[in-house]
Amino acid sequence: MRPPARGGRGGRGGRFDGGGRGGGGGGRGFGGGRGGRGDRGGRGGRTPRGGRGGGGRGGRGGGMKGGSKAVVVAHKHAGVFISKSKEDALCTKNMVPGESVYGEKRVSVQNEDGTKVEYRVWNPFRSKLAAAVLGGVDNIWIAPGTRVLYLGAASGTTVSHVSDIVGPDGLVYAVEFSHRSGRDLVNMAKKRTNVIPIIEDARHPARYRMLVGMVDVIFSDVAQPDQARILALNASYFLKNGGHFVISIKANCIDSTLPAEAVFAAEVEKLKADQFKPAEQVTLEPYERDHACVVGGYRVPKKQKATS
Amino acid sequence: MSSLRNAIPRRAHKERAQPEARKKFGLLEKHKDYVVRARAYHIKEATIAKLKEKAAFRNPDEFYFKMINSRTVGGIHRPKPEDNKYTEEELLLLKNKDMGYILQSVQSEKKKIEKLSSTLHELDNKPQNKHVYFAEDREEAKEIQSRIGQSSNMPDLDNIPSRIKKKIASSYRELEERKQRLQKLEKLYADMALQKELKKPGRKRKLKLHEDEETDNQTSRPVYKWRAQRKR
Repeated sequence: MRPPARGGRGGRGGRFDGGGRGGGGGGRGFGGGRGGRGDRGGRGGRTPRGGRGGGGRGGRGGGMKGGSKAVVVAHKHAGVFISKSKEDALCTKNMVPGESVYGEKRVSVQNEDGTKVEYRVWNPFRSKLAAAVLGGVDNIWIAPGTRVLYLGAASGTTVSHVSDIVGPDGLVYAVEFSHRSGRDLVNMAKKRTNVIPIIEDARHPARYRMLVGMVDVIFSDVAQPDQARILALNASYFLKNGGHFVISIKANCIDSTLPAEAVFAAEVEKLKADQFKPAEQVTLEPYERDHACVVGGYRVPKKQKATS
Repeated sequence: MSSLRNAIPRRAHKERAQPEARKKFGLLEKHKDYVVRARAYHIKEATIAKLKEKAAFRNPDEFYFKMINSRTVGGIHRPKPEDNKYTEEELLLLKNKDMGYILQSVQSEKKKIEKLSSTLHELDNKPQNKHVYFAEDREEAKEIQSRIGQSSNMPDLDNIPSRIKKKIASSYRELEERKQRLQKLEKLYADMALQKELKKPGRKRKLKLHEDEETDNQTSRPVYKWRAQRKR
C-alpha cells in the first residue's frame, strides 16, 4: 500500500470505484485493470479489495469461534459449571468479566443471542470447596441468592468463586484475621459488590456482629485446633435455624499424632454436641492429603424429620 | 518509469517444458542448470586429479606421530582417545552443571504439570475419595442408600462435539506424558546426586540389600554408608 499522498486524485477515484466493485466480486476488478486507464487507477482499485477481504474473514471467524471452542454445561450444584474445551474443568460464572483474581484461566462462551458469558476455572488444588465438589459432595448449600459467612477467607481465592456462585442477589461475609492476606481479600472485594471483607478474629464474632446479618450457610476453613468451637460460636450468632454449615478439616492441624480418620470422627462428634447435624463427609483425596469436608445442618427442626 | 512499462500489456513469455514422453528424466534442463552441474563436476574432477598427483609423489619414508597415535578402523579414522583431557575438578564442575540443568528441567516440568492439572479435573472419572453419610437411624440410612443408588453424579455430557472431546483427550495425554517425564528426570537427578556424593572423599561401603528386613526403603537402588569421621 502506498501513502495516500502519492495516490493523488486518481487513487481516490479508484477507491470509489472499488467500493462498488466490492459488492460485485473479483471479476470486475480485473476488468478495470484491462481498460488501460493507467497505473494509478489500477493500484487504487487494489486497496479496497484487500480491505474487503480482511473484513469478510474477520466476520466469519468471529461467528464460529464463540460456539466452537468451548462448551459449558451446568453442574449438579446450582451456580457451578463445567467447561469442556482444551481443558476439562470446574468453573463459575465470572461476576467481573475480564478479570482474574489469582491468575486462573477464563473461558468465554457466546450464547445464541450473541451475548458473551465469561467463566473462571476453579482450581481444586487451591480451593477446598472445589475439591469437595469434585469429590462428589451431595449438597454445598451455597447457591445463587444465598447469604454465606465465610470463615478463614485468606486471600479470597475461594471467596471469589463463592461470590460468583451466589451472584448479585446473594451476599458473602468473608472473615480473615491476617492483615497480610486480608489486603488481597479487600482488593478482591472492591470489584465484587456482594463480598463484605471483615478483618477480624473469627474467635470473637461479637466484634463483627454489627456487620453481619443472618446467613443461610457458614463455610469454615480456619484450620485451628478449636475450629469446631469457632464454628459453633459463629453459628450461634449468625446462622439461621435450619441453616447449613460446610467445614473443612485438616487432620494435621487438630492432632498430628492420631490417624486422620480418628480426627475426623472426633470433630464430627464435637459438631454434634453443638447442635450441628452432620449429613455427609468427603475426603479431599487427590487434591489435599488428610483433609475432609463435612456438610450438615444447624438446629434442624425435629418434627419435620419425623414426617419425612 | 519502469512501472509505466509494466502497465503495457505484453505477450507472455512461455518456457518450454519437459515433453510428456521424457517426463521420466525429471524437469527439462536449461542452460543455466547445465552450467551449475558442469561447474560442480569440474571441481570434483580437479580434486581427484590433485589427490592422484599427491599419491603418485608420496614419500615412502614419510612419518607423522599421528601414524602411531591414531589408526583406521575399516577405513575410518579413529583418533586415540584422550583419557585425561579434563582434570578432576573440571569434571566435577561439568557434572555440577549437568545436575543444574536437570534440576532446572525438573522444576519447569513441575510447573507445567501444575498448570495443566489446575484445568484438568477428570470430571468424567469417579472420584477416588471417601464419602461418608451420617444417619440417625436405620430408616434414614436406608433412604440415603436408595438415594445414592439412583442419583447420577454428573450431568449428561453426550452432546459435546467430537472435536472438543479430542482436544480434552490430548490434554490428558500431555499431562500423563509430562508426569512420566518428571518421574524419569527426578530419578536421573537422584542418580547424579549419588554419583557426586560418591566422588567426595570419605570411607564408605555399599550396604547389602536384604529383601526381608528392608523397612521403608523399598527401592532397588544401592545404599551406601559412610564411616563417621571426626571433623577438624
